[in-house]
Amino acid sequence: MTTMQHLTDDDLVLHYYGELDSAAETQATTHLSACESCHRNYVRLQRVMAAIDSAPVPAVADAFERTVWARLQPSLSPRRGWLSWFVLSPANLGWAAAVLVLVAGAFYAGRMTPHQHPNDAQTATASQIREGVLLVDLNEHLDRSQTMLVELVNADPNSDALDLTAEREHAGELLAANRLYRQTATNAGDVALSQLLDELERLLVEVSASPDQLPAEDLERVQQRVAAKDLLFKVRVVSSAVKERQKQQTRSRTGVGQSS
Amino acid sequence: MPQTDAAAVALARDGDSEAFRALVERHGRAVYRLAYRMTGSAQDAEDVVQETFLKAYRQLPRFESRANFGTWLHRIAVNCSIDLIRARPHRETGQADSDLEQFGAAVESTDATGASPERLMLSTEVQHRIGEAMTKLSRMERAAFMLRHFEGRSIEEISQSLGLKTNATKHSIFRAVRKMRTALEPFVADA
Repeated sequence: MTTMQHLTDDDLVLHYYGELDSAAETQATTHLSACESCHRNYVRLQRVMAAIDSAPVPAVADAFERTVWARLQPSLSPRRGWLSWFVLSPANLGWAAAVLVLVAGAFYAGRMTPHQHPNDAQTATASQIREGVLLVDLNEHLDRSQTMLVELVNADPNSDALDLTAEREHAGELLAANRLYRQTATNAGDVALSQLLDELERLLVEVSASPDQLPAEDLERVQQRVAAKDLLFKVRVVSSAVKERQKQQTRSRTGVGQSS
Repeated sequence: MPQTDAAAVALARDGDSEAFRALVERHGRAVYRLAYRMTGSAQDAEDVVQETFLKAYRQLPRFESRANFGTWLHRIAVNCSIDLIRARPHRETGQADSDLEQFGAAVESTDATGASPERLMLSTEVQHRIGEAMTKLSRMERAAFMLRHFEGRSIEEISQSLGLKTNATKHSIFRAVRKMRTALEPFVADA
């Protein structure tokens, strides 16, 4: 770049951000003071950059903080049972993230190739056992989610405000596990599972962030959302697929159902 | 609710979850805005918010009490955003320049009011167009550009953060600026 050469658009960007080396910077400054065309181009760039500075900030829902806290709290507070072990320990979180890939993979494999059995599956391997444990966990998660959905769907919106205290607690517990499953499914490229868990998570967030007494209109809105998304049906389908996968794994391990 | 961040941090360190909740309530929106700018996705931004506060909670014992909590949290949020972008590179949203040219032309055709660029800059319509233009950037272009433009990171630092070569980072930024200029210059052209 010399003072006689025009500055490219990219040169101007580097100049704008002060990313040119000192010699190039001096040349650019000198050129801009002498060249009307480049100067105009630089002013246009500056105007665009100034406009970008005023970029809109995305709108955030009024209940944003409450929702964030509802999702976050289960991962922070002391817990009991397998879920607490699953959620609290950073080491176990790492392990969970790694092996949950197997769950998603196993789910996918089970769904896509329901009658396929590995030839060398006569003996249970460590990974099969681990996969089996995880399938049990995922299955339990889906069963508990189903129970909650059934309660919500069957609640009577014409009665007095629904007491959601218990459901709120359950939803809070389910959230942390659901989030892990969803992230893992996403990372494993299992779009269908990821989308289902995302829909489920949004509902769990809503329930866990709801007041103790849910007004009738809010309940109706939740019920409509469950119906519109076919959420209960989808959870049942996935739950069935997971159970089927568990059966396959059991047959594979014991040799039942395999040709000799 | 503790009056200051320092007081809330001290209580949260001792296991007071309500104190940590106060920190979430004070800083949650700022973290979301940053994450949204970085990722360009509401869902990803929500994930970043969760991850940021989880990391902050776990790292509270290591937080220097003399430091500014907001600044520290901001740094964690940037890193969480980068981690997410690197972990999900497949979710590209970038669009061809031809789309942007059409977009720019459409903007130009709507700008027949004769209003000055300064006035237009202030309008919500312009802000809407900027938001639209941002969505035309690919994830890497967006991340590199946001880190350079809003976070003031050098190209060298951005390269390290995103795991890109310096030239690749430069070109991501160049492409991002080019796209933004294509979309926005009709608004900001000389009066």
